[in-house]
Amino acid sequence: MTTRTGCVWCPDWPVVAARRRDPALQAVPVFVRERVGARELVRAASAEARAVGVTRGMRRREAEAQCPEAVCIDADEALEARTFELVARAVEAFTPRVVLDRPGLCAFATRGPSRYFGGDDALGVRVQQEVASALGDPKSDVRIGIADGGFTARLAARRADTTAPYVVEPGASAAFCAPWPVAVLDDPDLASLLVRLGLPTLGDVAALPADAVLARFGADGRRFHDLARGLDAGPPVLVTPPPDLVEQTELDPPVARVDAVAFAAKGLAGRLLFRLAERGLACTRVVIEAETEHGERLARCWRHDRVLTPAALAERVRWQLDGWLLGRVDDGADEDLDTTTGGLTLLRLVPDEVVPADGRQLGFWGGDQAAHDRADRALARVQGLLGYDAVTTAVVQGGRTAAEQIRWVPWGDAREPERPLVVDTFPAAWPGALPAPFPARVLDPPAPAQLSDEHGNAVVVTGRGEQSGDPARLECAVLPGGGGAVRGWAGPWASDVRWWDPLARRRGARWQVVVDCGAAGGDVACVVLVEAGRAGVEAIYD
Amino acid sequence: MLPHLPGRTYVRYGRSVSAAPLPARTLPRRDAEARARLHAVAARTQPFVAAGDRRLPVRGPIGALLPAGGVQRGSTIAVGGAPGSGSTTVALTLAAAATSAGEWAAIVDPADSLGRGTIGARAAAEAGVELDRLAVARCASADRWGAVVAALLDGITLVVAAVPPRLRLGDARRLVARARERSAVLVALGDWPVEAAMRVHTGPGGWRGLDAGSGLLEARDLNVSVEAKGRGFARAG
Repeated sequence: MTTRTGCVWCPDWPVVAARRRDPALQAVPVFVRERVGARELVRAASAEARAVGVTRGMRRREAEAQCPEAVCIDADEALEARTFELVARAVEAFTPRVVLDRPGLCAFATRGPSRYFGGDDALGVRVQQEVASALGDPKSDVRIGIADGGFTARLAARRADTTAPYVVEPGASAAFCAPWPVAVLDDPDLASLLVRLGLPTLGDVAALPADAVLARFGADGRRFHDLARGLDAGPPVLVTPPPDLVEQTELDPPVARVDAVAFAAKGLAGRLLFRLAERGLACTRVVIEAETEHGERLARCWRHDRVLTPAALAERVRWQLDGWLLGRVDDGADEDLDTTTGGLTLLRLVPDEVVPADGRQLGFWGGDQAAHDRADRALARVQGLLGYDAVTTAVVQGGRTAAEQIRWVPWGDAREPERPLVVDTFPAAWPGALPAPFPARVLDPPAPAQLSDEHGNAVVVTGRGEQSGDPARLECAVLPGGGGAVRGWAGPWASDVRWWDPLARRRGARWQVVVDCGAAGGDVACVVLVEAGRAGVEAIYD
Repeated sequence: MLPHLPGRTYVRYGRSVSAAPLPARTLPRRDAEARARLHAVAARTQPFVAAGDRRLPVRGPIGALLPAGGVQRGSTIAVGGAPGSGSTTVALTLAAAATSAGEWAAIVDPADSLGRGTIGARAAAEAGVELDRLAVARCASADRWGAVVAALLDGITLVVAAVPPRLRLGDARRLVARARERSAVLVALGDWPVEAAMRVHTGPGGWRGLDAGSGLLEARDLNVSVEAKGRGFARAG
């Protein structure tokens, strides 16, 4: 069962939004960057930048090399969502049910309006004109695709050009989808697997028997097999949402600040999905409703390709609130959007389309997942208390010193080392790194100390890496009893790091030292660094 | 007929081969030594902890010192000793007991400027901690320390927390109660002002492998004393 769907696609939406805010960017190539883990990737690029080879997902440095004259700007999701509210309102003039996918892409059912406006083509042209004029420039890049089902309509929008919509005739979806590559399924792992199986296009996938796909790929297989055949991604069995699953919160006093409402929405999203999960349901489409203190009622429907997670739902609510509450797109005076006239008094989340939850595979031995969830909740709570960066996990990576060998990754981020510890099968070359045992306490920056020889002179290292005298005494505030006589030592190991970069260059020498700290401390082992004539304790083998 | 060996593919040989009696050595041994060894393996590799088993087994020589070879869930353990004497290593070994049982551990680091420094992650991995199940929270303010440790005890099996100076007795007692209620283990690193189920103290130890100008650190002698319900002084190398 598919619904005739129209899709409005504005390519490179982040660039369009940025250019609307800052008209000076109109004339120059632009790309928008976003941070993914430790890397900066290109989120979107203007047509001029793409013409010289900047693509989505490219690293920022590569993009700058490809197109040095381009202006690089930071991604601003709130601005994108806010600006897209213009498009949503323009489409809403034609049909009340507009479903937002993400900023830059929305869909609407065309059955009613296309009868009224005289066919899909006429409707498409009118929507295109309205959206373009809402964006303030009749030549704006707006593509409309109309087809049976949302997925085919999105593909049709990619085939459309800026002057005319692309309409796939009813029943012709399968033929239209067939030549597209499997990469349009938007799942790189799956696409790569299908290509290796000798199925490079959607037509090849559609030709497979449905039961074989189901047997090999499970529920996910059924989903993409349906898509490839031009059927809607919608679940085969739609469950009518139970009416009492609406989650709402009354805001008293009325709140006009986005972050305050978004905070309330986060809890609401979690509760809604939790209650759905209790009934074995998951949500793919949700209506966000709000009321203001002056009695305005706002509603907008958002959908997601997969099942909505609490984080994804909260993100969409936040985007929508940005659109409603900070409706002014430009900083200057603008008649763009008539924003809400007051604070919000009510926020409601209504599940619009729910599907049976496929469930989650628990750990083979059970119990594991529950412990994981509990730990996740506790750590998220501590992140709330101390800040996002204050809760970390450690990743061991390549480096010379104990501090360099650890990368602290905020809880929830991908655990990737910055520098490899092992390259292929060989341990990467980190000359000067000390072997096991490793110090249990790392002091970064090093604690100031005095390393002296038997005559009481500070031990330093010559340019040739030779020490001025044997270390005989180490004094440092962090050692028990303030330090003491050196019982054993090894070194010095001179290091000259980043000698090609005058600003980042560091020269120093290290010793491994065992200090006799008297009756209280006994023997204490530590690593001492001498840099620019000053000694410091870098790590203690506690 | 051949005896059925589960899980083996097997080829039928001629009568003379298959009829030969199995050598006595390959029969499963049922003596006490074999049984004890099997128990040790089972305790180490058991994939889940049954509700009745409230103990996290600790490996190595430190585990041998502890009563019943492990730490009891819901208990508080105070680990103290001068810097450099090995108290962090003991705490990491206890954390390894939680992560190797498939559960989670967290460390609350003071991150103060006076510097007890941060945990060395490689030392933690060396002690047997699974780093992807170890969270490290940096708590600079002593006021929030209690709230942070309490929040961690809610969801995490073992929490190693460096005790801030001038901790109030009431706060400390509340944490002991919280650990007991949540069946979590609190390892207090430093001077713990109130009662604890077990007190581990590291005294002056020694290092081997390093001479004047030669060698590298190889091994250490830890001097650990455990005080827990009648257990006296013991020493581990």
